[in-house]
Amino acid sequence: MSVGRVQPAPFIFSGGIEMNEQSHWKGYLVVENLDSLYIQSTYIHEDKIVYGPDSDSTTMAIAGIQFMQNKGHHIASIHLTESVDARTLFLATGVDSTALNEDLEFEEIEWDLLTGEEATLVIAKSNTESYDFEAPQGVEIIDADFYNDMEAAWKTEQEAHHVSQGAYVSSSQYFEGAEARLSLAAQGVGDRMIWPPRQLDANGRRIPSESYSLDPEAQVESWTKLSAAGAPSEFSLRAPILGGIQTLLVQFKQGPRGVFLVSDDVDYSPKIGDTVSFAVRRIYAQEGMMRYGLKANPEY
Amino acid sequence: MNIIDRLNQMLGLLGLVMVDVAVIGAGQTKYGNHQLGLKGMWAEAAENAFSSIDKNFEPRQVDEAFIGSVAFGGAQLGNTAALLTEHSGLDGIPVRRVENACASSGFALRDAWMAIKSGQADIVVAGGIEKMNDLSAERKRFWLGVSGDTEWERLAGLTFPGTYALMARRHFHEHDSSHDDLVHISVKNHMHGFENKDAHIRKQVSFEKAESGFMVADPLTLYDCCPTSDGASCVILAADHVVRQFTDDPVWIRSSGAASDHLALHDRPSVTQLLATQKASRNAYSAAGLTSKNIDLAEVHDCFTIAELMATEDLGFSKQGHGGAFAREGLGVRNEGPVCINPSGGLKSKGHPLGATGTGQAVEVFKQLRGTVEDSRQVRDAEIGLTHNVGGSGATCAVHIFGRDRNE
Repeated sequence: MSVGRVQPAPFIFSGGIEMNEQSHWKGYLVVENLDSLYIQSTYIHEDKIVYGPDSDSTTMAIAGIQFMQNKGHHIASIHLTESVDARTLFLATGVDSTALNEDLEFEEIEWDLLTGEEATLVIAKSNTESYDFEAPQGVEIIDADFYNDMEAAWKTEQEAHHVSQGAYVSSSQYFEGAEARLSLAAQGVGDRMIWPPRQLDANGRRIPSESYSLDPEAQVESWTKLSAAGAPSEFSLRAPILGGIQTLLVQFKQGPRGVFLVSDDVDYSPKIGDTVSFAVRRIYAQEGMMRYGLKANPEY
Repeated sequence: MNIIDRLNQMLGLLGLVMVDVAVIGAGQTKYGNHQLGLKGMWAEAAENAFSSIDKNFEPRQVDEAFIGSVAFGGAQLGNTAALLTEHSGLDGIPVRRVENACASSGFALRDAWMAIKSGQADIVVAGGIEKMNDLSAERKRFWLGVSGDTEWERLAGLTFPGTYALMARRHFHEHDSSHDDLVHISVKNHMHGFENKDAHIRKQVSFEKAESGFMVADPLTLYDCCPTSDGASCVILAADHVVRQFTDDPVWIRSSGAASDHLALHDRPSVTQLLATQKASRNAYSAAGLTSKNIDLAEVHDCFTIAELMATEDLGFSKQGHGGAFAREGLGVRNEGPVCINPSGGLKSKGHPLGATGTGQAVEVFKQLRGTVEDSRQVRDAEIGLTHNVGGSGATCAVHIFGRDRNE
């Protein structure tokens, strides 16, 4: 079975015939079926489907699983390929994998996630024998210079010796809040939601750990766009290519506020009062480790 | 020490009489791009402070020292204070670096004041230092923004220009304020700093030029942002029972207030008010028995013009939401409004060597109240001054009130 450029042919699914249904989801194109999903980037470069400026197989896998969860599928665990960051995927979706959990029996995993040679993925039940999806419409050719410059910047950032000094977010500091950052997991105290998570309350007692989720929609309270020269050093390679970076201050329906970057693949002029939703995207890389987080977009 | 001073000291130690604290000397380097390193800059500031003391003074008389610094760029991160005092004749005394971001030396001043108030010391040095311009542009950017909630704000692409830009846009949305009001602040502070020989940027700017500056973090332009400066500042405090040994013209610290708040803007209940400033100033006014109406001049923390606008509200110089009108009407202009805001030029013009800024503000107030600044920029009839030093985007704040007279 190969997942790459899918054929623009009527789809046939083993065990029954069903029409494909195509939609946009968190900046990607998805074609869904009963127990399977095809998801791909919207960008084409030199006749290949390529990832957008802050996407990769991890962010798209998370989007795909969230799509399936949103449709009511229960995915407890999944077989992953090496290109997907299993820990980030777990923190964002709660879906386990053998890459993360050694105690997980291979046979008890009911789902597969397969990455293609291009920026495509399939998520399907493990017992599925074949896939065939109708190619989705709506791809666009990405500017070649922009694509090449971004690829080069990400490559440099991901080198092991690329280290920030000063405002350094270590891996332990990053992972301490990663679940809240990737899935909007919030603490509940009485009728109040706390996000980002806090440790002790005013009585010196530990606040219960995150067991709620904020609604993944929020209202823009303020915004700014930092010039490339004013962007933090972690973004210094990519900010000039992007023409600066854009940050929103938003308030969730349940009360908490947060600050989020806007996805790199949208041209968005924010206004106070806009409603935005979120998708997992690359933030920056350091010392060979990619930092992921939610980014805001009005279109998701 | 005469017998009355001695008696007061003993009663102070017993907690029966609260010791009053005065500034007997204060000095600083010029702010800007320095050829000198940390030791040279600190020595220059200390030397200027020592020489400002009217009567005989020797560094060996100092009991304790508190020196604020962020140690920007990682320079001499450990034992900063011991290294600097070693080079300013302050050998052997207890010293330490105080770090509270841009409010480091505001808190060093508070710690020095408390050391004397507690009766444990009679003469204490409070100072600050930062060397920011000996770093490459890239390395400098690593360090700007280290005092935010890095795990959340940095991952959202924010450094302080961005954080204050979020505050500014929200303030414009909620209140009668606009970027034009920030331009008025920028023009005023450049005008005040123009004649300050210690200022980093001694250049007047027109409204038209300031409003059309290069966009740094929308809506803040270059003219809304303070420069990154090298500099050091030093003030020498003394207990009331020893003050007259050094000067007959002290400046008294009428009160000290301080507070903290959430580091991250998004964790605070309001993004258009700094609650730490409100709390610190409330405590300072109350302890001094004064209100904002009694203040003749205020050195406020205008790292960005919106920070000054919000400070005029949070310190009580205008009502909440009226900071824009306060700036627009020129109420903080020297010798024109009810209070002179940033007679030194503020961080915008005088400069902002992070750890040196708080005690640098005290140097300005000391000189203004003693009438020793350049004639052209003297605030008329200055009797009471205030300093307002903020760390990060409002996480820490120290407010001090100074007067020609002691508390009644």
